[in-house]
Amino acid sequence: MKDNTSNIWIGGKDLTNDPEFIEISQKEFAEPTNLAEDLGNEEVAASMGGNRRDFLKFLGFGLGAATVAAGCDIPVKRAIPYVVKPDSIVPGVASYYSSTYVSGGESLPILVKTREGRPIKIEGNIYSSITHGGTSARAQAFVLSLYDTTRFATPKMKVSGEWTSSNWADVDKAVSVALDSAKGVRVVTNTVLSPTAQSAMSEFTDKFDGTIVTYDPVSSSAILDANEQSFGDRVIPDYRFDKADVIVSFGADFLGTWISPVEYAAQWVKGRKIKDIRNPTMSRHIQVESGMSMTGSNADNRIMVRPSEMGAAIAYLANKIVGGVSSPALNTEAKAALDKIATELTAARGKSLIVSGSNNVSEQILINAMNNTLGNLGTTVNFGHASLQRQGSEKELAVLISDINSGVVDVVIFNQCNPTYDFVGADALKTALAKVKTKISFATSNDETTDMCDIIAPTSHSLESWGDVEAKRGQFSIIQPTISNLFDTRQYEQSLLSWAGSSNLDIKAEQPYFDYLKAYWKKTAFASQSKFATFQPFWDSVLQDGVYEVGNSSSIPSFTGNISSAAAGISKPSTSKVEVSFFESISQGNGQFANNPWLQEMPDPVTRTSWGNYLAVPVNFDGVRTFVGYNDLVDGDLVDVTIGSKTVRVPVVQQFGQMAGTVSLALGYGREFGIKGDLVGVNVNDVLTVGKDGNTNYYNTSASITNKVGKEDYFSCVQYHHTMGVKAEEKGTGDIINADEAATVFFDYFTGVKGFQGSLTDRSIIYNSTIKDLKENVDVLEGKRAHAQHLNAQQIYGGFDDTYEMGHHWGMNIDLNSCTGCGACTVACMSENNVPVVGKREVSRHHEMSWLRIDRYYYGDAKNPNVVYQPMMCQHCDNAPCENVCPVNATNHSSEGLNQMTYNRCIGTRYCANNCPYKVRRFNWLDYTTADLFPANQPSLGGEEVPFGADNLTRMVLNPDVTVRSRGVIEKCSFCVQRLQSGKLTAKVEGRRLRDNDVSSACMTACPTGGITFGDLNNKKGELVKKNTSPLSYLVLEEINVRPSVTYTMKVNNRDTSFDA
Amino acid sequence: MIYKHLNINKLLTLLIVMFSFNLQAQVSADAGKIVFKNYCASCHNKNMVSAMTGPALAGVEDNWDTTENLYAWIRNSQAMIFEVGHPRAIELWNEYKPSAMTAFPNLTDDEIASTLLYINAVADGTFNIPVGGAVQALDTAVEESSNGWLYALLLLILVLLAALLTRIINNLDVLAAVKEGKEIQQRTLMQSLTSKGVVGFLIFGLVVLAGYTTVTNATNLGRQQGYQPDQPIKFSHETHAGINKIDCQYCHDGARRSKHSVIPAANTCMNCHKAIKVGSEYGTAELTKIYASIGYNPTTDKYMENYEDLSTEESKEIYTKWIEDQYLAVTELAELDAEGKDVVRTQWDGIVSSLTNEQKEKVQGPIEWIRIHNLPDHVYFNHAQHVTVGGVECQDCHGAIEEMEVVKQHSPLSMGWCINCHRKTEVKFKENEYYESYSQYHEDLQSGAKDKVTVADIGGLECQKCHY
Repeated sequence: MKDNTSNIWIGGKDLTNDPEFIEISQKEFAEPTNLAEDLGNEEVAASMGGNRRDFLKFLGFGLGAATVAAGCDIPVKRAIPYVVKPDSIVPGVASYYSSTYVSGGESLPILVKTREGRPIKIEGNIYSSITHGGTSARAQAFVLSLYDTTRFATPKMKVSGEWTSSNWADVDKAVSVALDSAKGVRVVTNTVLSPTAQSAMSEFTDKFDGTIVTYDPVSSSAILDANEQSFGDRVIPDYRFDKADVIVSFGADFLGTWISPVEYAAQWVKGRKIKDIRNPTMSRHIQVESGMSMTGSNADNRIMVRPSEMGAAIAYLANKIVGGVSSPALNTEAKAALDKIATELTAARGKSLIVSGSNNVSEQILINAMNNTLGNLGTTVNFGHASLQRQGSEKELAVLISDINSGVVDVVIFNQCNPTYDFVGADALKTALAKVKTKISFATSNDETTDMCDIIAPTSHSLESWGDVEAKRGQFSIIQPTISNLFDTRQYEQSLLSWAGSSNLDIKAEQPYFDYLKAYWKKTAFASQSKFATFQPFWDSVLQDGVYEVGNSSSIPSFTGNISSAAAGISKPSTSKVEVSFFESISQGNGQFANNPWLQEMPDPVTRTSWGNYLAVPVNFDGVRTFVGYNDLVDGDLVDVTIGSKTVRVPVVQQFGQMAGTVSLALGYGREFGIKGDLVGVNVNDVLTVGKDGNTNYYNTSASITNKVGKEDYFSCVQYHHTMGVKAEEKGTGDIINADEAATVFFDYFTGVKGFQGSLTDRSIIYNSTIKDLKENVDVLEGKRAHAQHLNAQQIYGGFDDTYEMGHHWGMNIDLNSCTGCGACTVACMSENNVPVVGKREVSRHHEMSWLRIDRYYYGDAKNPNVVYQPMMCQHCDNAPCENVCPVNATNHSSEGLNQMTYNRCIGTRYCANNCPYKVRRFNWLDYTTADLFPANQPSLGGEEVPFGADNLTRMVLNPDVTVRSRGVIEKCSFCVQRLQSGKLTAKVEGRRLRDNDVSSACMTACPTGGITFGDLNNKKGELVKKNTSPLSYLVLEEINVRPSVTYTMKVNNRDTSFDA
Repeated sequence: MIYKHLNINKLLTLLIVMFSFNLQAQVSADAGKIVFKNYCASCHNKNMVSAMTGPALAGVEDNWDTTENLYAWIRNSQAMIFEVGHPRAIELWNEYKPSAMTAFPNLTDDEIASTLLYINAVADGTFNIPVGGAVQALDTAVEESSNGWLYALLLLILVLLAALLTRIINNLDVLAAVKEGKEIQQRTLMQSLTSKGVVGFLIFGLVVLAGYTTVTNATNLGRQQGYQPDQPIKFSHETHAGINKIDCQYCHDGARRSKHSVIPAANTCMNCHKAIKVGSEYGTAELTKIYASIGYNPTTDKYMENYEDLSTEESKEIYTKWIEDQYLAVTELAELDAEGKDVVRTQWDGIVSSLTNEQKEKVQGPIEWIRIHNLPDHVYFNHAQHVTVGGVECQDCHGAIEEMEVVKQHSPLSMGWCINCHRKTEVKFKENEYYESYSQYHEDLQSGAKDKVTVADIGGLECQKCHY
């Protein structure tokens, strides 16, 4: 269907004017709780409806309890100072340490904010030439994993099948006994980015004649193999998306999960920002895929191919560009589109980039061949600072299994990896492991693999450790501890070195591995530089910057791949009815982050689901306005999916842009261990297949899906929650109008005026344009804004402009073109503002608490739509509708333009939330963070003993400058007022005017693409005012005259509409 | 009509006369209040009974032999000390030096008399702001107190009237009923008292009373003005800040740069107490607690290595020896006598009870002070903002700490108290470049439209300045 470009929709229900959906969004609250349940007793709640007697009972109890509480003495509080106060710590003032977030092959240079010696927030390190200060949702949530309640508190050993706590002396003894008599020793690990750790590991393997087995949870080994064959260098190249005018991605989710998404997003966005309106330019981004990935959702054109057709598509394009490649059958639409792409690519010689997420070596060789022919080597594909972020190969694990089976392995050490869950041959590995005499794990908390081990030597969390990272050749960053060990843990590097009896490790030293690390840096980086004469100042400067870079000149390699044999090795299209593709989810990876509630609760950018994996099924277009999910399935239906020999029961979510005949399912769910990950979703790692070249294929061609077999109890998809505008069919005329406009029709009848002040006709939520029509659409936008402003000027009350002309007037600018939907800001917001996690059930009841949500809208062609992401938070309206309706004045306006929310004054009428046109106010239905006097009504996330928000360990992550809200109050985005106040104070103490960089919201600093700009609207020379003057900028719902302080810019894409023909 | 008119005119004239009389009043507590506010309040506590920078003023007249001398002292205190050498002047100087009272040579006798009147009125608790204005404060106070009786009397009369009327209506009802030939039973007093109306009224009254009491008490819930707990160490602010004049921020070094003023760490104490090992007030007992906390051996003058690992017995040995030595040194005995043993035992027990609790078994480690100034969790307060930016003196909120042997909470720390101060306090507007963005206020100050900019003017009363 070719719908006009102004048609924006959030999903099928919106597009089909689903009456149930309209009803829910018309209600004041989607699903209010009943009284008894709110009071904490769910059993009582289930057995009764909540009547007057119960109300009186609870009232009586409440009064009695309050009387008792009031009669108590004020508890004696203690103030405990340091015995010897470290100079660097001033209680009440945050200290920042440069460090690095690292998880396997993933790393980001970060700054860790600590208060009173306790890490509470992650910020990006702006000195990094990889990220330029950007972060990801995973990096933002990293600090919470430090306070994971499932972490091992001591080393453990298995005694007759039972885990028993042990101590390091006993563990060391047991390990050395095992190692001394061992025939073969293997260390299984994910990619190790630390050169010093690698040195430590090789000292260990040298001593025991061992081998290191490296694999990655989501494999990219085909690229490594292909690059070895093509360029003689087994690395991932240094891609430069910023230098590419045409980007073609064959299933590589490079903005979301692929290799180094934060880096790539920062590069990609450079080509996506409109710099000059009169002469707009923009890169072209074409995504070839079956399901809608986050990268695909940001692409200009998507070409849909079945997962098994990917090879054919690559071969088809390679034939066009390189020639001499025969391609298997491919759908005709894709062929036509690829023809056009070939032309575009050839026109952009040296300024294009082709990447592929395929894990087939032959296909990757063809990609290399194309980049070579297009002259991209040395421009967009570089090897100077080649990426080391993926080094693993699952073939090494296959070798390990055969070695174990042939009886030559006595000791296996697992370094923070979980192959019995995330490895394609997990079952074979499990069987084999039973034959290994001693299995040791360095894991920080229990997982599928660790549970099979004999000894657990828990390593310290990265935030408690020393270390270094070389993510790309010559680009180093430092890991430094920000807190002393919370538990009796020891860095794995130190364990390996001490087991190896290394002479380079002084066990008696206060921090043995720190000395080892310094010695290594003295030997390597320090020795090869000339700026510093002595080591200490060099080391200090590295620690302070957090990053260290050395130039790395490397010649452009010549392409030596064999195209004809590659053409023969590509995967062949299948003819099966349904194919399923498996993808790495942005929040969960392949299960590494299952224990992190912030990430579990963060909705997937595209499907907008949380707490589990959902089967994305295609939506069939049928007739004019009818959309039917595959097999008539609707959101939340449970189906049985049989893939290979396994059947899993999963809930369904309708997904626009999912190719017909294909479905998608996320990896990384269904973990058996960890309280919060407990039985969240299903594990599909064991239905992955291995290709002929030994690499894992992330799709399966033999899938079958049953009809609906049930309904998901807690369908926690936030897609239709907190919607700002719902369309409905007007009775009688059949016109499509806004659902809540029905009331105004009555007035239309009498006045004949449509769209008068206050009615929500023709809502301005999203403005979009293609780059070709930009000038026209800017005119349209201008006209609409002028009209809205004209209407707003008709009000009888004066303006508000003079109110804020002095001091500060805080505002924000959000560039929709920069927003990729990655969710870093949402997690940063949770971390900064103590936003509670509510769990799956609560999310399914529209009770999620996130202050900042990223709305995902589709627009354009309903069959293959474009997507726009809109970060939506409190707009701090200067004429705020929420403020007028509060009976207790708990929300009111500040002289700095902030819409203030005062929790201690709020009595929970929720009028404000009901009256908010942006639906950004959140109500604490339960006691999510244990702030209440009587802790009785916290939600349970996953059967944990102590509720998540109540655990003292978890509570260490709370920001002490932000109130922990109790049940019964409304909360919402405060523009990070605590950061504003502290920025103002800095300026005041220094006796100078406020500068732009004194104040920044958490979402702004988290954003990897610089999409959010926060600042003072009264600073006329500031960055914010400059951005707001762009003709692309608009205010959401400007016509209702609430005068928001957040400005958005029009979404512009570079779609070639001839592809849709 | 004319009569009425006249009446009003008369009243008006009377009022005007009274008002003008008030304006011309030479000696009054009201006038004294203004003088006090303008000249005295910056140093003298306005409650008159406790001292601030200057002494408490209650009963000031009794402290001086003659009124002339008192007036002379107020006009020029230095002269009274150094030139006249009046004994009371010298006594005061010794107590408060080096700060001397500012000279006020321009104050008239009437102004001083008014001020003294005001001071006495406040000290007696009889000063109240008069409503009409013409009468002097003391007289008003008398009237105010007699008002209570008047009201009671009035109420009594009303109640009697009501009872009388009820009685009459009842009787009339009965009469009417009798007239109509109906049989009616007259209610007894008991029946009337237990009637629905009376009981309902009583219940209503009780609910109102209970509500009022609840609200008043709930407002005070969690407030602890005057809170003065015993601390684990008898640290005397009077000795340190008062007598020895150590700057507050020497120890509370967070006040200028952090939200917390910071309770000093034990190593801050050691900066001085490495040298000063015997206290003037409590001898060795209290100082030894610091040593036991941080692991300083006063006998050898060295910090102990691995102090953390010592058992309680081992640390006891070290510190009892020190206490013993001190006892012997003072008493010049060669060996501990029974009293000495007792001293050693009680002092060590004191150390143990001060430095240990259920969670902390050993004496090693931090001293757990009792926190006096507590704000609710939903309040954000920043010392740096007030001390460094606002230039507020510590004493403004904490009272005359330098005179407190045991610290007590001086201010209520209630929201009303905060807000009132924000309303009154002037922002250092011209001195700090930060405030340049408030262009309109700068213009107003220039043109004289505004004489000062208060915290409230720049948003100091807004919720989210303190609650977020």
